[in-house]
Amino acid sequence: MDHVPTDLLLMLFADARLPVAGHTQSAGLEAAVQHGLTSAEVPAYMSARLATTVRVEAGTAVVALHRLDHELPLEPVVAAWAARTPSHALRRTSRAQGRAMNRLSASLWADGAAVRRVARLDGCPRPVALAGAAAAAGLDALSLARLVGYDDVQTVASASLKLLPLDPAAATGWVHDALPEVAAAAEDVAGLTDPRDIPATAAPQTEVWAQAHARSTRRLFSA
Amino acid sequence: MPDPSPTRGLRLGVCGPVGTGKSSLIALLCRELAGRMSLAVVTNDIYTDEDARFLRASGVLTPERIRAVETGACPHTAIRDDITANLLTVEELEEEFAPDLVLIESGGDNLTATFSPALVDTQVFVLDIAGGGDVARKGGPGIERADLLVVNKTDLAPHVGVDRDRMVADAEAARDGRSVIALSRTDRASVDALTAWVTAEVARHRAGELVPTDPGPMAAHSHDHPAA
Ligand SMILES: Nc1nc2c(ncn2[C@@H]2O[C@H](COP(=O)(O)OP(=O)(O)O)[C@@H](O)[C@H]2O)c(=O)[nH]1
Ligand SMILES: [Mg+2]
Repeated sequence: MDHVPTDLLLMLFADARLPVAGHTQSAGLEAAVQHGLTSAEVPAYMSARLATTVRVEAGTAVVALHRLDHELPLEPVVAAWAARTPSHALRRTSRAQGRAMNRLSASLWADGAAVRRVARLDGCPRPVALAGAAAAAGLDALSLARLVGYDDVQTVASASLKLLPLDPAAATGWVHDALPEVAAAAEDVAGLTDPRDIPATAAPQTEVWAQAHARSTRRLFSA
Repeated sequence: MPDPSPTRGLRLGVCGPVGTGKSSLIALLCRELAGRMSLAVVTNDIYTDEDARFLRASGVLTPERIRAVETGACPHTAIRDDITANLLTVEELEEEFAPDLVLIESGGDNLTATFSPALVDTQVFVLDIAGGGDVARKGGPGIERADLLVVNKTDLAPHVGVDRDRMVADAEAARDGRSVIALSRTDRASVDALTAWVTAEVARHRAGELVPTDPGPMAAHSHDHPAA
Protein backbone atom coordinates (compact mmCIF):
# COMPACT_ATOMS: atom_id res chain seq x y z
CA MET A 1 0.00 0.00 0.00
CA ASP A 2 1.19 3.52 -0.73
CA HIS A 3 2.23 5.49 2.29
CA VAL A 4 -0.69 7.45 3.74
CA PRO A 5 0.22 10.52 5.81
CA THR A 6 -0.62 10.18 9.52
CA ASP A 7 -2.88 13.21 9.59
CA LEU A 8 -5.08 11.75 6.87
CA LEU A 9 -5.31 8.42 8.71
CA LEU A 10 -6.28 10.27 11.87
CA MET A 11 -8.99 12.16 10.00
CA LEU A 12 -10.38 8.88 8.74
CA PHE A 13 -10.40 7.26 12.19
CA ALA A 14 -11.68 10.31 14.09
CA ASP A 15 -14.50 11.05 11.68
CA ALA A 16 -17.93 10.61 13.24
CA ARG A 17 -19.03 9.19 9.90
CA LEU A 18 -16.81 6.12 10.42
CA PRO A 19 -19.35 3.28 10.47
CA VAL A 20 -18.59 1.85 13.90
CA ALA A 21 -21.89 2.69 15.62
CA GLY A 22 -20.39 5.77 17.29
CA HIS A 23 -23.84 7.34 17.34
CA THR A 24 -24.89 4.80 19.98
CA GLN A 25 -22.31 6.13 22.48
CA SER A 26 -22.23 9.09 24.88
CA ALA A 27 -18.98 8.28 26.76
CA GLY A 28 -21.00 8.00 29.94
CA LEU A 29 -22.55 11.44 29.57
CA GLU A 30 -26.14 10.24 29.48
CA ALA A 31 -25.70 8.40 32.78
CA ALA A 32 -24.00 11.45 34.28
CA VAL A 33 -26.82 13.76 33.14
CA GLN A 34 -29.38 11.37 34.58
CA HIS A 35 -27.56 11.77 37.87
CA GLY A 36 -27.63 15.54 37.77
CA LEU A 37 -24.64 16.66 35.70
CA THR A 38 -25.40 20.07 34.18
CA SER A 39 -24.37 21.63 30.93
CA ALA A 40 -21.91 23.92 32.72
CA GLU A 41 -20.15 20.88 34.17
CA VAL A 42 -19.54 19.12 30.85
CA PRO A 43 -16.03 20.58 30.34
CA ALA A 44 -15.06 19.37 33.81
CA TYR A 45 -16.55 16.00 32.93
CA MET A 46 -14.35 15.87 29.82
CA SER A 47 -11.27 16.73 31.88
CA ALA A 48 -12.14 14.13 34.48
CA ARG A 49 -12.36 11.48 31.80
CA LEU A 50 -9.05 12.58 30.29
CA ALA A 51 -7.45 12.14 33.70
CA THR A 52 -9.03 8.73 34.32
CA THR A 53 -10.88 6.46 31.87
CA VAL A 54 -9.19 7.85 28.78
CA ARG A 55 -5.76 6.97 30.18
CA VAL A 56 -6.86 3.38 30.70
CA GLU A 57 -8.23 3.25 27.15
CA ALA A 58 -5.30 4.99 25.49
CA GLY A 59 -2.76 3.05 27.55
CA THR A 60 -4.44 -0.22 26.58
CA ALA A 61 -4.42 0.79 22.92
CA VAL A 62 -0.71 1.70 22.75
CA VAL A 63 0.41 -1.38 24.69
CA ALA A 64 -1.68 -3.55 22.36
CA LEU A 65 -0.12 -1.80 19.37
CA HIS A 66 3.38 -2.46 20.73
CA ARG A 67 2.60 -6.12 21.27
CA LEU A 68 1.09 -6.44 17.80
CA ASP A 69 4.21 -4.91 16.27
CA HIS A 70 6.43 -7.29 18.29
CA GLU A 71 4.21 -10.33 17.88
CA LEU A 72 3.68 -10.73 21.61
CA PRO A 73 0.48 -12.23 23.08
CA LEU A 74 -2.45 -9.86 23.49
CA GLU A 75 -4.31 -11.72 26.24
CA PRO A 76 -2.35 -9.97 29.02
CA VAL A 77 -3.41 -6.60 27.56
CA VAL A 78 -7.07 -7.59 27.55
CA ALA A 79 -6.73 -8.89 31.11
CA ALA A 80 -5.01 -5.68 32.25
CA TRP A 81 -7.74 -3.58 30.60
CA ALA A 82 -10.51 -5.67 32.19
CA ALA A 83 -8.91 -5.37 35.63
CA ARG A 84 -8.89 -1.58 35.20
CA THR A 85 -12.51 -1.46 33.98
CA PRO A 86 -14.50 -2.79 36.92
CA SER A 87 -17.96 -2.01 35.51
CA HIS A 88 -19.38 -5.00 33.71
CA ALA A 89 -21.61 -2.66 31.68
CA LEU A 90 -18.61 -0.68 30.42
CA ARG A 91 -16.66 -3.80 29.55
CA ARG A 92 -19.63 -5.11 27.61
CA THR A 93 -20.07 -1.84 25.73
CA SER A 94 -16.37 -1.64 24.92
CA ARG A 95 -16.46 -5.19 23.57
CA ALA A 96 -19.49 -4.39 21.40
CA GLN A 97 -17.61 -1.37 20.03
CA GLY A 98 -14.57 -3.57 19.52
CA ARG A 99 -16.64 -5.90 17.38
CA ALA A 100 -17.93 -2.94 15.37
CA MET A 101 -14.36 -1.73 14.79
CA ASN A 102 -13.14 -5.22 13.90
CA ARG A 103 -15.99 -5.57 11.42
CA LEU A 104 -14.82 -2.42 9.65
CA SER A 105 -11.13 -3.40 9.85
CA ALA A 106 -11.86 -6.79 8.33
CA SER A 107 -13.28 -4.98 5.36
CA LEU A 108 -10.58 -2.30 5.02
CA TRP A 109 -7.52 -4.46 5.77
CA ALA A 110 -8.72 -7.93 4.85
CA ASP A 111 -5.21 -9.37 4.78
CA GLY A 112 -3.82 -7.48 7.78
CA ALA A 113 -2.30 -9.95 10.26
CA ALA A 114 -2.90 -7.55 13.18
CA VAL A 115 -6.57 -7.23 12.29
CA ARG A 116 -6.94 -11.00 12.24
CA ARG A 117 -5.12 -11.34 15.56
CA VAL A 118 -7.35 -8.90 17.45
CA ALA A 119 -10.50 -10.32 15.87
CA ARG A 120 -9.58 -13.79 17.16
CA LEU A 121 -9.44 -12.57 20.77
CA ASP A 122 -12.24 -13.64 23.05
CA GLY A 123 -14.08 -10.36 23.79
CA CYS A 124 -11.76 -7.86 22.10
CA PRO A 125 -12.31 -4.43 23.74
CA ARG A 126 -12.44 -1.26 21.67
CA PRO A 127 -8.88 -0.02 22.42
CA VAL A 128 -7.38 -3.35 21.33
CA ALA A 129 -9.53 -3.35 18.18
CA LEU A 130 -8.30 0.18 17.48
CA ALA A 131 -4.73 -1.00 17.95
CA GLY A 132 -5.34 -3.71 15.35
CA ALA A 133 -6.59 -1.11 12.89
CA ALA A 134 -3.69 1.21 13.75
CA ALA A 135 -1.17 -1.58 13.16
CA ALA A 136 -2.76 -2.41 9.82
CA ALA A 137 -3.00 1.21 8.72
CA GLY A 138 0.44 2.22 9.95
CA LEU A 139 -0.60 4.62 12.70
CA ASP A 140 2.03 5.28 15.41
CA ALA A 141 1.46 4.96 19.17
CA LEU A 142 1.28 8.68 19.95
CA SER A 143 -1.26 9.27 17.18
CA LEU A 144 -3.29 6.31 18.39
CA ALA A 145 -3.32 7.67 21.95
CA ARG A 146 -4.40 11.09 20.66
CA LEU A 147 -7.15 9.46 18.66
CA VAL A 148 -8.52 7.71 21.75
CA GLY A 149 -8.52 10.97 23.73
CA TYR A 150 -9.97 13.09 20.94
CA ASP A 151 -12.70 10.58 20.21
CA ASP A 152 -13.73 10.50 23.86
CA VAL A 153 -14.04 14.28 24.11
CA GLN A 154 -15.88 14.54 20.80
CA THR A 155 -18.26 11.74 21.84
CA VAL A 156 -19.14 13.67 24.99
CA ALA A 157 -19.61 16.87 23.00
CA SER A 158 -21.90 15.39 20.37
CA ALA A 159 -23.94 13.52 22.98
CA SER A 160 -24.30 16.75 24.94
CA LEU A 161 -26.11 18.26 21.96
CA LYS A 162 -28.69 15.51 22.22
CA LEU A 163 -28.97 15.49 26.01
CA LEU A 164 -28.61 19.15 27.03
CA PRO A 165 -29.95 22.14 25.14
CA LEU A 166 -26.90 23.85 23.74
CA ASP A 167 -25.37 25.98 21.01
CA PRO A 168 -23.30 23.47 19.00
CA ALA A 169 -20.53 26.04 18.69
CA ALA A 170 -20.22 25.99 22.49
CA ALA A 171 -19.81 22.21 22.48
CA THR A 172 -17.13 22.43 19.82
CA GLY A 173 -15.47 25.13 21.93
CA TRP A 174 -15.22 22.63 24.78
CA VAL A 175 -13.54 20.13 22.46
CA HIS A 176 -11.13 22.79 21.26
CA ASP A 177 -10.29 23.85 24.80
CA ALA A 178 -9.70 20.25 25.84
CA LEU A 179 -7.14 19.60 23.10
CA PRO A 180 -4.08 20.46 25.23
CA GLU A 181 -5.27 17.99 27.86
CA VAL A 182 -5.84 15.39 25.14
CA ALA A 183 -2.28 15.96 23.96
CA ALA A 184 -0.89 15.69 27.49
CA ALA A 185 -2.78 12.47 28.24
CA ALA A 186 -1.53 10.98 24.97
CA GLU A 187 2.10 11.98 25.73
CA ASP A 188 1.84 10.33 29.13
CA VAL A 189 0.86 6.92 27.81
CA ALA A 190 2.36 6.83 24.30
CA GLY A 191 5.59 5.15 25.40
CA LEU A 192 3.99 2.31 27.35
CA THR A 193 4.81 -1.23 26.28
CA ASP A 194 4.04 -3.37 29.33
CA PRO A 195 0.44 -4.29 30.26
CA ARG A 196 1.34 -3.82 33.94
CA ASP A 197 2.07 -0.15 33.28
CA ILE A 198 -1.34 0.67 31.83
CA PRO A 199 -2.69 3.37 34.18
CA ALA A 200 -5.16 1.98 36.72
CA THR A 201 -7.16 5.18 36.79
CA ALA A 202 -10.76 4.07 36.46
CA ALA A 203 -13.29 6.62 37.72
CA PRO A 204 -15.47 4.87 40.32
CA GLN A 205 -18.32 7.39 40.00
CA THR A 206 -18.47 6.90 36.22
CA GLU A 207 -18.43 3.15 36.73
CA VAL A 208 -21.30 3.28 39.22
CA TRP A 209 -23.34 5.51 36.92
CA ALA A 210 -22.63 3.17 34.00
CA GLN A 211 -23.94 0.21 35.96
CA ALA A 212 -27.16 2.07 36.82
CA HIS A 213 -27.51 3.27 33.22
CA ALA A 214 -27.33 -0.25 31.85
CA ARG A 215 -30.33 -1.16 33.98
CA SER A 216 -32.39 1.94 33.18
CA THR A 217 -35.25 1.45 30.76
CA ARG A 218 -35.11 4.96 29.34
CA ARG A 219 -31.98 5.78 27.44
CA LEU A 220 -30.84 7.06 24.08
CA PHE A 221 -27.30 5.71 24.25
CA SER A 222 -25.92 2.28 24.98
CA ALA A 223 -23.37 3.88 27.37
CA MET B 1 -26.32 -11.58 -8.05
CA PRO B 2 -28.20 -13.07 -5.11
CA ASP B 3 -26.32 -15.62 -3.08
CA PRO B 4 -27.43 -18.94 -4.62
CA SER B 5 -27.44 -20.79 -1.29
CA PRO B 6 -27.82 -18.34 1.61
CA THR B 7 -26.68 -19.94 4.84
CA ARG B 8 -28.46 -17.44 7.06
CA GLY B 9 -32.19 -16.85 7.38
CA LEU B 10 -34.24 -14.00 5.95
CA ARG B 11 -33.80 -10.55 7.43
CA LEU B 12 -37.12 -8.69 7.31
CA GLY B 13 -37.38 -5.00 8.19
CA VAL B 14 -40.57 -3.43 9.54
CA CYS B 15 -40.68 0.37 9.31
CA GLY B 16 -43.26 3.14 9.33
CA PRO B 17 -44.33 5.96 11.67
CA VAL B 18 -44.74 5.51 15.42
CA GLY B 19 -48.03 3.96 16.49
CA THR B 20 -48.91 2.44 13.13
CA GLY B 21 -48.63 -1.06 14.59
CA LYS B 22 -45.10 -2.31 13.85
CA SER B 23 -44.57 -4.02 17.22
CA SER B 24 -48.06 -5.52 17.06
CA LEU B 25 -47.40 -6.80 13.54
CA ILE B 26 -44.15 -8.42 14.67
CA ALA B 27 -45.90 -10.01 17.67
CA LEU B 28 -48.61 -11.25 15.32
CA LEU B 29 -46.07 -12.76 12.92
CA CYS B 30 -44.26 -14.43 15.80
CA ARG B 31 -47.50 -15.97 17.01
CA GLU B 32 -48.46 -17.14 13.53
CA LEU B 33 -45.05 -18.43 12.46
CA ALA B 34 -43.39 -19.68 15.65
CA GLY B 35 -44.73 -23.20 15.16
CA ARG B 36 -43.38 -23.34 11.62
CA MET B 37 -39.96 -21.70 11.79
CA SER B 38 -37.26 -20.42 14.11
CA LEU B 39 -37.52 -16.67 14.77
CA ALA B 40 -35.64 -13.75 16.34
CA VAL B 41 -36.38 -10.04 16.73
CA VAL B 42 -34.31 -6.83 16.90
CA THR B 43 -35.93 -3.58 18.01
CA ASN B 44 -34.62 -0.03 17.54
CA ASP B 45 -36.36 2.02 20.17
CA ILE B 46 -35.62 5.70 20.14
CA TYR B 47 -35.71 6.28 23.84
CA THR B 48 -36.77 3.15 25.67
CA ASP B 49 -36.63 -0.58 25.35
CA GLU B 50 -40.42 -0.51 25.38
CA ASP B 51 -40.78 -2.39 22.08
CA ALA B 52 -38.45 -5.15 23.19
CA ARG B 53 -40.26 -5.38 26.52
CA PHE B 54 -43.67 -5.41 24.82
CA LEU B 55 -42.56 -8.27 22.61
CA ARG B 56 -40.97 -10.19 25.47
CA ALA B 57 -44.12 -9.70 27.56
CA SER B 58 -46.28 -10.98 24.73
CA GLY B 59 -44.56 -14.29 25.40
CA VAL B 60 -44.40 -15.40 21.78
CA LEU B 61 -40.62 -15.87 21.77
CA THR B 62 -38.15 -16.65 24.52
CA PRO B 63 -36.75 -13.35 25.85
CA GLU B 64 -33.18 -14.00 24.68
CA ARG B 65 -34.37 -14.04 21.07
CA ILE B 66 -35.55 -10.43 21.34
CA ARG B 67 -32.78 -7.80 21.47
CA ALA B 68 -32.95 -4.01 21.63
CA VAL B 69 -30.44 -1.76 19.86
CA GLU B 70 -29.86 1.77 21.18
CA THR B 71 -29.80 4.33 18.41
CA GLY B 72 -28.40 7.41 20.18
CA ALA B 73 -31.45 9.37 19.01
CA CYS B 74 -30.48 8.55 15.43
CA PRO B 75 -33.07 5.95 14.38
CA HIS B 76 -32.51 6.71 10.69
CA THR B 77 -28.75 6.37 10.93
CA ALA B 78 -29.11 3.02 12.64
CA ILE B 79 -31.13 1.47 9.81
CA ARG B 80 -29.71 3.33 6.87
CA ASP B 81 -26.19 4.75 6.94
CA ASP B 82 -24.36 3.33 9.95
CA ILE B 83 -26.17 0.03 10.29
CA THR B 84 -23.30 -1.51 12.31
CA ALA B 85 -25.10 -1.82 15.66
CA ASN B 86 -28.03 -3.56 13.99
CA LEU B 87 -25.87 -5.83 11.86
CA LEU B 88 -23.86 -6.96 14.88
CA THR B 89 -27.04 -7.75 16.81
CA VAL B 90 -28.56 -9.62 13.88
CA GLU B 91 -25.34 -11.59 13.36
CA GLU B 92 -25.22 -12.39 17.07
CA LEU B 93 -28.77 -13.80 16.96
CA GLU B 94 -27.97 -15.73 13.80
CA GLU B 95 -24.90 -17.22 15.41
CA GLU B 96 -26.76 -18.23 18.56
CA PHE B 97 -30.07 -19.45 17.16
CA ALA B 98 -29.69 -19.87 13.37
CA PRO B 99 -33.20 -18.46 12.89
CA ASP B 100 -35.10 -18.85 9.61
CA LEU B 101 -36.34 -15.30 10.00
CA VAL B 102 -35.05 -12.23 11.86
CA LEU B 103 -37.57 -9.40 12.18
CA ILE B 104 -36.10 -5.91 12.65
CA GLU B 105 -38.36 -3.10 13.88
CA SER B 106 -37.23 0.42 13.06
CA GLY B 107 -37.47 3.21 15.60
CA GLY B 108 -39.98 4.90 13.37
CA ASP B 109 -40.51 8.61 13.71
CA ASN B 110 -41.67 9.74 10.32
CA LEU B 111 -42.66 8.79 6.83
CA THR B 112 -39.29 8.91 5.12
CA ALA B 113 -37.13 6.33 6.91
CA THR B 114 -36.48 3.02 5.16
CA PHE B 115 -33.94 0.24 5.70
CA SER B 116 -30.67 -0.12 3.86
CA PRO B 117 -30.66 -3.23 1.67
CA ALA B 118 -27.33 -4.01 3.34
CA LEU B 119 -29.25 -4.62 6.58
CA VAL B 120 -32.48 -6.31 5.45
CA ASP B 121 -33.34 -8.58 2.54
CA THR B 122 -36.91 -7.36 2.33
CA GLN B 123 -39.00 -4.72 4.11
CA VAL B 124 -42.54 -3.89 5.11
CA PHE B 125 -43.77 -0.32 5.48
CA VAL B 126 -46.71 0.05 7.88
CA LEU B 127 -49.36 2.80 7.69
CA ASP B 128 -52.25 3.37 10.07
CA ILE B 129 -55.61 3.75 8.40
CA ALA B 130 -56.51 6.25 11.12
CA GLY B 131 -53.63 8.43 9.85
CA GLY B 132 -56.01 9.40 7.06
CA GLY B 133 -56.78 8.29 3.53
CA ASP B 134 -54.43 10.88 2.00
CA VAL B 135 -51.24 9.42 3.40
CA ALA B 136 -51.01 6.60 0.87
CA ARG B 137 -51.55 8.97 -2.04
CA LYS B 138 -48.91 11.43 -0.81
CA GLY B 139 -46.34 8.67 -1.09
CA GLY B 140 -42.68 8.59 -0.11
CA PRO B 141 -39.96 5.98 -0.54
CA GLY B 142 -41.41 3.45 1.92
CA ILE B 143 -45.00 3.80 0.79
CA GLU B 144 -44.10 3.61 -2.88
CA ARG B 145 -41.27 1.10 -2.94
CA ALA B 146 -41.05 -1.02 0.21
CA ASP B 147 -41.44 -4.68 -0.73
CA LEU B 148 -44.80 -4.71 1.06
CA LEU B 149 -47.08 -1.89 2.19
CA VAL B 150 -49.42 -2.71 5.05
CA VAL B 151 -52.44 -0.45 5.54
CA ASN B 152 -53.07 -1.38 9.14
CA LYS B 153 -55.99 -1.31 11.60
CA THR B 154 -58.65 -1.49 8.90
CA ASP B 155 -61.15 -2.32 11.65
CA LEU B 156 -60.92 1.38 12.59
CA ALA B 157 -61.86 2.67 9.12
CA PRO B 158 -65.57 3.25 9.81
CA HIS B 159 -64.74 5.08 13.06
CA VAL B 160 -62.31 7.51 11.48
CA GLY B 161 -64.21 8.19 8.29
CA VAL B 162 -61.67 6.63 5.96
CA ASP B 163 -62.72 4.62 2.91
CA ARG B 164 -60.57 1.52 3.20
CA ASP B 165 -60.93 0.34 -0.39
CA ARG B 166 -60.18 3.80 -1.68
CA MET B 167 -57.04 4.04 0.44
CA VAL B 168 -55.85 0.63 -0.76
CA ALA B 169 -56.54 1.59 -4.37
CA ASP B 170 -54.55 4.82 -3.91
CA ALA B 171 -51.69 2.85 -2.39
CA GLU B 172 -51.71 0.35 -5.23
CA ALA B 173 -51.67 3.15 -7.77
CA ALA B 174 -48.70 4.77 -5.99
CA ARG B 175 -46.84 1.44 -5.93
CA ASP B 176 -46.78 0.32 -9.51
CA GLY B 177 -48.09 -3.15 -8.78
CA ARG B 178 -46.02 -3.84 -5.65
CA SER B 179 -47.85 -5.72 -2.86
CA VAL B 180 -50.36 -4.02 -0.56
CA ILE B 181 -52.14 -5.74 2.31
CA ALA B 182 -55.05 -4.15 4.19
CA LEU B 183 -54.52 -5.62 7.65
CA SER B 184 -56.44 -5.86 10.87
CA ARG B 185 -55.59 -8.21 13.65
CA THR B 186 -59.31 -8.92 13.88
CA ASP B 187 -59.58 -9.88 10.19
CA ARG B 188 -58.41 -13.47 9.83
CA ALA B 189 -58.15 -13.40 6.05
CA SER B 190 -55.84 -10.38 6.17
CA VAL B 191 -53.62 -12.05 8.78
CA ASP B 192 -53.38 -15.10 6.53
CA ALA B 193 -52.45 -12.89 3.58
CA LEU B 194 -49.65 -11.34 5.63
CA THR B 195 -48.20 -14.64 6.82
CA ALA B 196 -48.45 -16.03 3.28
CA TRP B 197 -46.46 -13.05 1.97
CA VAL B 198 -43.76 -13.47 4.64
CA THR B 199 -43.56 -17.24 4.12
CA ALA B 200 -43.16 -16.69 0.38
CA GLU B 201 -40.33 -14.20 1.02
CA VAL B 202 -38.58 -16.75 3.26
CA ALA B 203 -38.90 -19.31 0.46
CA ARG B 204 -37.62 -16.87 -2.18
CA HIS B 205 -34.65 -16.08 0.05
CA ARG B 206 -33.90 -19.76 0.59
CA ALA B 207 -34.04 -20.37 -3.13
CA GLY B 208 -31.55 -17.55 -3.64
CA GLU B 209 -34.08 -15.58 -5.69
CA LEU B 210 -34.50 -12.57 -3.44
CA VAL B 211 -32.49 -9.49 -4.40
CA PRO B 212 -32.64 -6.80 -1.69
CA THR B 213 -33.72 -3.48 -3.18
CA ASP B 214 -33.58 0.03 -1.80
CA PRO B 215 -36.94 1.80 -1.60
CA GLY B 216 -35.49 5.27 -1.52
CA PRO B 217 -34.16 8.00 -0.34
CA MET B 218 -35.88 9.68 -3.27
CA ALA B 219 -38.39 8.84 -5.90
CA ALA B 220 -36.79 7.94 -9.19
CA HIS B 221 -38.11 10.66 -11.43
CA SER B 222 -38.28 11.17 -15.12
CA HIS B 223 -39.98 13.90 -17.00
CA ASP B 224 -39.06 16.07 -19.93
CA HIS B 225 -36.84 18.95 -18.99
CA PRO B 226 -37.49 22.05 -21.05
CA ALA B 227 -34.62 22.90 -23.38
CA ALA B 228 -32.31 25.52 -21.84
N1 LIG C 1 -57.70 -1.30 16.20
C1 LIG C 1 -56.49 -1.82 15.97
N2 LIG C 1 -55.47 -1.41 16.70
C2 LIG C 1 -54.23 -1.94 16.46
C3 LIG C 1 -54.02 -2.92 15.45
N3 LIG C 1 -52.69 -3.24 15.44
C4 LIG C 1 -52.11 -2.50 16.41
N4 LIG C 1 -53.02 -1.72 17.03
C5 LIG C 1 -52.81 -0.79 18.15
O1 LIG C 1 -52.06 0.33 17.70
C6 LIG C 1 -51.27 0.86 18.78
C7 LIG C 1 -49.82 1.03 18.35
O2 LIG C 1 -49.28 -0.24 18.04
P1 LIG C 1 -47.73 -0.58 18.12
O3 LIG C 1 -47.61 -1.97 17.59
O4 LIG C 1 -47.18 -0.29 19.44
O5 LIG C 1 -47.17 0.49 17.06
P2 LIG C 1 -45.63 0.85 16.68
O6 LIG C 1 -45.31 2.11 17.39
O7 LIG C 1 -45.67 1.04 15.20
O8 LIG C 1 -44.79 -0.31 17.09
C8 LIG C 1 -51.43 -0.12 19.93
O9 LIG C 1 -52.35 0.41 20.83
C9 LIG C 1 -51.96 -1.37 19.26
O10 LIG C 1 -52.75 -2.17 20.12
C10 LIG C 1 -55.18 -3.36 14.68
O11 LIG C 1 -55.11 -4.19 13.79
N5 LIG C 1 -56.37 -2.76 14.99
MG1 LIG D 1 -43.06 -0.31 18.25
